[in-house]
Formats: sequence, structure tokens, C-alpha cells
Amino acid sequence: MINNHPNTQLLTDYATGGLSMAPLISITTHLQFCDQCREAVSGLNILGGELLTECDEAELSEDLLAQTLAMLDAPMMANAETAAETPKSSLCPDLASQLPKYLHRFLNSQELEWRSLSSTLSVAAISVGETDYELALHRIDAGGKAPVHDHKGTELTVVLKGSFSDEDGIYREGDFLMREPGDVHRPSATQDQACICLSVLSAPIKLTGIKQVLNPFMRFNPS
Amino acid sequence: MATQIKSKAKMNKPSGPDWNALLVKVGSHQDKAAFGALFSHFGPLLKGFLLKGGGVEPEQAEELVQETMIKVWRKAPSYAPTQAAASTWMYTIARNTRIDWLRKHAKKNHQTDELVAEDLFDENEESSPFTALIQTRNASNIREHLNSLPQEQLQVLTLMYFQGKSGQEVADELAIPLGTVKSRVRLALQKLKLKISPDGEEQVVYAS
Repeated sequence: MINNHPNTQLLTDYATGGLSMAPLISITTHLQFCDQCREAVSGLNILGGELLTECDEAELSEDLLAQTLAMLDAPMMANAETAAETPKSSLCPDLASQLPKYLHRFLNSQELEWRSLSSTLSVAAISVGETDYELALHRIDAGGKAPVHDHKGTELTVVLKGSFSDEDGIYREGDFLMREPGDVHRPSATQDQACICLSVLSAPIKLTGIKQVLNPFMRFNPS
Repeated sequence: MATQIKSKAKMNKPSGPDWNALLVKVGSHQDKAAFGALFSHFGPLLKGFLLKGGGVEPEQAEELVQETMIKVWRKAPSYAPTQAAASTWMYTIARNTRIDWLRKHAKKNHQTDELVAEDLFDENEESSPFTALIQTRNASNIREHLNSLPQEQLQVLTLMYFQGKSGQEVADELAIPLGTVKSRVRLALQKLKLKISPDGEEQVVYAS
């Protein structure tokens, strides 16, 4: 039973296409575990379909259909299908078996470099080519504790495997957590197995423009 | 014109063509006449939708319509009318097409071409065990209540959907607090009888 979910605003941002890639990936990852949120998203997509249907029509150029029909038989554009299948995987099978299949596509094409943050906590960045956010796997060894850390901004976490707890509760596979600025906590994995999480953090760069306001995801900062 | 929503594959539509069935035909028989009919119906709606969102010129909107419809052609074999109405399916494809287009045209994040929005969203996001039933109920609830939403709630929703913006971006645009946007969205979804997050309004903030 999943007890922690993205809030309604995040799900709506997801359905309208308002999220950057890394937060978007974290929501989709949660959906792999959570029928309830999938149902909510399904309703939000139906709303999108209804708004589309209710829209005022705008006349198309006369030849647009003919042009489009002519393009249907053309070979697919180069980048249309490339991401779909990446046969050679560099993802270690043992780890792969612990992660939702959805995430494999982002991991197959890159070497994960695990870096220790403490004796029991390690992190591996996942590159999705985005500069606004960092997407990463965090791993806490069985019974291990992460260092006490605070959050300068918001951090999104999805528990992928195992469970961890902190002062406020225990989080299991599929749980989605949003940490707000000022939260101080010390997560620790449960005794029986390591805990693997997906997390979204801000990139260590200054952001400018509209995304600055949009972007509350600050860097994970072990102290 | 009313959207065609189906709870059963063989349900008869009181009015208008059965868009779901046409889409199935495109997928199963590469039926160009069916594609043409879908194009003529959804194309102008898609263009209107995109123009309402702003930020695109009419020619760009047509490019996006074209790109969307080509994807519809390509992906139609995987379309399942029991999982989504044609309009819902079109919406998600158009949304993803716009996301990719915006990212391609943004100044930063150049190197992301290898990932497309289609890969980021959940392919099975439509498929919950009760989809067909819920879908029919959701769609008719939406149609019934959409026009009676308070203006301020409708405004926030349409800005988000038409422009593909997050709540925060809409809050910035309207110069109102994010909390106000959030509560308008939530109230609107409740009026439309759509399921909201199991967490309700707040993700619990774990402040110590």
C-alpha cells in the first residue's frame, strides 16, 4: 500500500506538460507503482481531451492535409524511433531487476558511477541531458543511515526498492516524497535490505528567467 | 460537437462519426480515408488549442498539427479504444509534440534530442483496471460541469492546459500566489468530479 503521493498540483502539472524532464520522470516512476495516481492522471488527460474538443477551431491551410498525407509514406524521421529501443544495456542485471522497467531506458545507455556520500550512502547521477535538475539514484545499505542533512529547497524522492525511515515515518516501494526547504532529517534503511531511491535535485547552477521561480529543487547537501 | 467517448467498443454514437473507430481503422488498415476524416476534425481543433496557448505563430501551429497527426498515424496501431477516447489520446500526443517542440526551440538543454516526451510519460498511464468505466463517467462529468465552473477556476485550468504550463508558471503569469492556483485547480477538479491525488491538497511537509 502506497501512502505517499505527489500532490494534486504536481499531477496536474504532469498532465498539462508543465514539468521539466527530471520531475516528470519522477512522477512517471511513481505511476509505475500507483494505480490511484494513474487513475487521477487518466482523468486529467480526459480533461485535456475535452478541452481540446471544446476548443474554437482554427482553419487550416487548404493543402495541409494533402501535404501530410504525402508525408505518411516517407521513411520515419531520424530521431523518431531511436530512443525506443536501445538493445545493448550497460545496466547491471542485478540492479536492473530492482528497478521499474520504465527507468531502464534512461539507464541502459550510460554507465552509472556510484559515488559514496558516507559509509552507507551512495549516489549515482542519471544524465537526461537536462541542466535544470539532477536526477539520481540514491542507495542506502541495509541498516545504514544517511548523514543528517537539510534541504535548501525541495527534493523529490521515489522509493524504488526496499524501504527507509526517518523521524517522521517509514517509506516503502512506490512512495513519493517531496521535501520542503528547511526540512532536516536523517533517513535510514531498514535492516533487511538496501534501499534504492530515485531523486530529483536542482543542478548546482544559477538559473535565470522564468524557470528560476519554477525551480525550487535545490541541491542535496549532506552535512 | 460532443466528444466520442466509449465504454464499449460497439457502443453506438448518437451523433457524428465514431472517432475511436476511425482511429482503430487507421491503426489496423492504414486507412487514409479514416485518417483524412480524423485530420479534418481534429486538425482545426488542435490548431485552435495551440493558438490559444500562445507563443506559437499560426504557421508553427500548423507544423505542430502536422507533426502530431503524423505521430497519430504512426502510433495508431497501439491505440486501444478501451483505454482512451480518441480525443484523450490526441491530446496526449499533441501535448508531447509541443513539449518536444518547445525544448527543441529553447535556448538551453540543447543536448536532449535523444529523449522525446513520449519516452518520459507513462505508456500505460491510461490503463488502470477500471479505465473504460471511469473514462466514460469522467468525460460526461467534465462535459456536464465544465461550463459552470467559476471563471477564475476555468481560467487557471485552461491556462495550464492550453499553454502547457505548471501551476507555478500560471501563478507568475496571473501574479497570484501559487497557493491560490493550487486551490483553484483542486476545487475545479472536485467540481468536475475528477479524482485528485490520494494525498489531497497537501503533500505532508516533514518539517521537524
